[in-house]
Amino acid sequence: MKKRLLFGVLGMFTAVCLWPSPGVCAEALSAYQIVKKSEALMDQAKDSKNEMLMTLIDKRGNKRERKLLSYAKNYPDGSKKALIIFEAPADVKGTSFLVWSNEKKDDQQWLYLPALQRVRQVTSSSKGDSFMGSEFSFYDMGTRNLDKNTYKLLKEEAVDGQACYVIESIPNEAEFYGKVVTWIRKENFVPAKMQFYDTKGAFLKEGTMTKIISIKGINTPTHIEMKNAQNGRATILDLSNIQYDSGLSDDIFTQRYMQRGR
Amino acid sequence: MKRLILLCACVLIPSQALTWSYPVGSTDIGVNGYLEGLGVYALDNDTAKEDPSALLSLTAKADFATWGAFKLTLKGDYDGKIHDPSHDRVFAPIEKVYRDNTPALTLDEAYLDLFTGKADLRIGLQKFAWGRLDEFNPTDNLNTEDMTDPVLREESERKQGALAVKADIYTDIINCELAWIPRYLPYRLPMPDERWFPPVLKVPDAIETNSVFGSVPVTATYADIDLPAFTLDNSEAGVRLSRSIAGCELSVSYFNGYDNMPVIAVPTELVVELTDPAALKTSIQGNLTAKPQLKRMQVYGLDFSTTLGGFTIRGEGAYFKDKYYVRTAESIYPEIITTKLQQELMEEFLNTFYATGQTRQSFHLDPAVAIKKDALKYGLGIDYVRGDATISAQIIEERVLDYDDDKPIYFIKGGYDTMLSLAYKQFFLQNTLELNLGGAYDYTFHHYLFQPSAVYGFTDAIRATLGVVIIAGKDPNSLLGQFRDNDEVFVKLRYSF
Repeated sequence: MKKRLLFGVLGMFTAVCLWPSPGVCAEALSAYQIVKKSEALMDQAKDSKNEMLMTLIDKRGNKRERKLLSYAKNYPDGSKKALIIFEAPADVKGTSFLVWSNEKKDDQQWLYLPALQRVRQVTSSSKGDSFMGSEFSFYDMGTRNLDKNTYKLLKEEAVDGQACYVIESIPNEAEFYGKVVTWIRKENFVPAKMQFYDTKGAFLKEGTMTKIISIKGINTPTHIEMKNAQNGRATILDLSNIQYDSGLSDDIFTQRYMQRGR
Repeated sequence: MKRLILLCACVLIPSQALTWSYPVGSTDIGVNGYLEGLGVYALDNDTAKEDPSALLSLTAKADFATWGAFKLTLKGDYDGKIHDPSHDRVFAPIEKVYRDNTPALTLDEAYLDLFTGKADLRIGLQKFAWGRLDEFNPTDNLNTEDMTDPVLREESERKQGALAVKADIYTDIINCELAWIPRYLPYRLPMPDERWFPPVLKVPDAIETNSVFGSVPVTATYADIDLPAFTLDNSEAGVRLSRSIAGCELSVSYFNGYDNMPVIAVPTELVVELTDPAALKTSIQGNLTAKPQLKRMQVYGLDFSTTLGGFTIRGEGAYFKDKYYVRTAESIYPEIITTKLQQELMEEFLNTFYATGQTRQSFHLDPAVAIKKDALKYGLGIDYVRGDATISAQIIEERVLDYDDDKPIYFIKGGYDTMLSLAYKQFFLQNTLELNLGGAYDYTFHHYLFQPSAVYGFTDAIRATLGVVIIAGKDPNSLLGQFRDNDEVFVKLRYSF
């Protein structure tokens, strides 16, 4: 079983939009069951499309903005495809990034740089790296195996007045994060906050998800902030024009689409 | 002063990036581009200098229907490398190898896209991108290049649009790219007095005959290219088939057309003149015309890329049939201006003088500068990304088949030339500062190029680059060695919009 990473870039841009609908009863559920149920509810939309404004903030508070288009699609065999296209700034406009995820294989990733007019296959093992200078990593964009983590319900705690389950997730084999602690809203199963710890156990970064709107019955956070405690930087994602189940064509998730941009 | 104004314009333009979109009927035409200033300081005093340059690139794109789109890129530049510019035309002459007008406008790309379900058609001035290696693509022969700055200009900037029709056909089994170039447009070479004119193409000041004629002084003329007639036979064509097999992307390709590397013919007039009839004393002068020639060739190519662990592996190779190479100047003239020939020419001259009293006579020679060979070019690249750092390494080799040591050619030694390249890129400060350490080492000639640079983004729209180019080599007949005196410091400022 695979779980879309809660705070991934694609995960955030798309999967987060596929978060469970409200009213799910989680009483007497274990930490694993909560996460598993969330994942099942999360994947109820077959596809999603949205626009994103990514704001990069350095430790002095200086801001830079990137505008992106995101497409994602889930397939019956459990595989997923996602495409991100950069709209701004001007010097990266037209750059796109395509990911095919399959639980039985490593992710396949391609990068298209308009200046080179070439689609380049990129390695999926660099997933721990920062995505376009943001506080999100390439790893966050893909998928991870739910069964490769151990979950523990730590406590219940309110975040901004909303009751949350606090769940600790520890990967059986530490890759990029040594531990992730997630505050999941009891009311609707939308995560409110996540704290990431590095493989040495030090606190790395914290993400918060707010401005939740309901689209086709799916509660969708549209404002996501990630603050890195180690380097003092932050990234804000603002999602707009979110569409679910619009019947995205498979042709979108191809190198052909990357090259012609449509 | 005008140049300074051009450079300052790059700085003074508002730093906030703009997005321009113009509605025309129901279609939005998006316009973007960049303005770039470049300053170069030559570190070697005895090489050609370069004034500041400026370049404005404008691209207009529009999707005018679900089935069609167009793109047009126009570039206007002031080229500081041209020393004595002419102003006789607004557009750069795309049918010429040499260009001396600046400022000038160039149509970089202008094409129409037509989309259908399983096939796309692109018609017009366009750039292709075959192959998978960086900068060196043996299978990519459809576009010519602007060679006026081979080091600072990236591959995509060097490429010139080809007048072509391209069809992409997509099937579940294989993707097929067909290209047809009905009208060849030539590469661009720097003027002979420009900074990056290839010294190997420079006509020597004298021809050493080591015999009757001694050292023959030479005057040189650099003629432009004669384009082939606009016929079907003179068109170019290529096909590339691609598919993915178990995560490995494979392509095979075939190209039939003109070689985009310069091949020069050097028709020579030897002028013998009797300067002292009483003593039968003569002077000999050589008049050489260096004229670019077009040679057809066939290229059979193969390229692939895959991932292995944390690495991306890229490979590319091609077999060149009937490729022409330029022989070294010092090997040509001793071969054709033999002692016997010199004696025969002198004898003919004196016989003519005795018979007619004519004191000046020309003898035409047409040395076979270009030599036809089959060749292999191949390379392997590996990329690794770690954090904010990227490393790419490549090894590339050219092997000339049936190489004749008695007829040496430029850039090749013993039939081989092997080059290693390394590119290291490290980002700092949330990608606002970029450090690049690029270099190439020619294993065959033991020459190297080192090009460190730093790029800083003042804003998302304005980026500045400061860098150095260092080239070292002793053999002037090697690709790098010929430019061993072209060390320079450069600064580049680009405003993107």
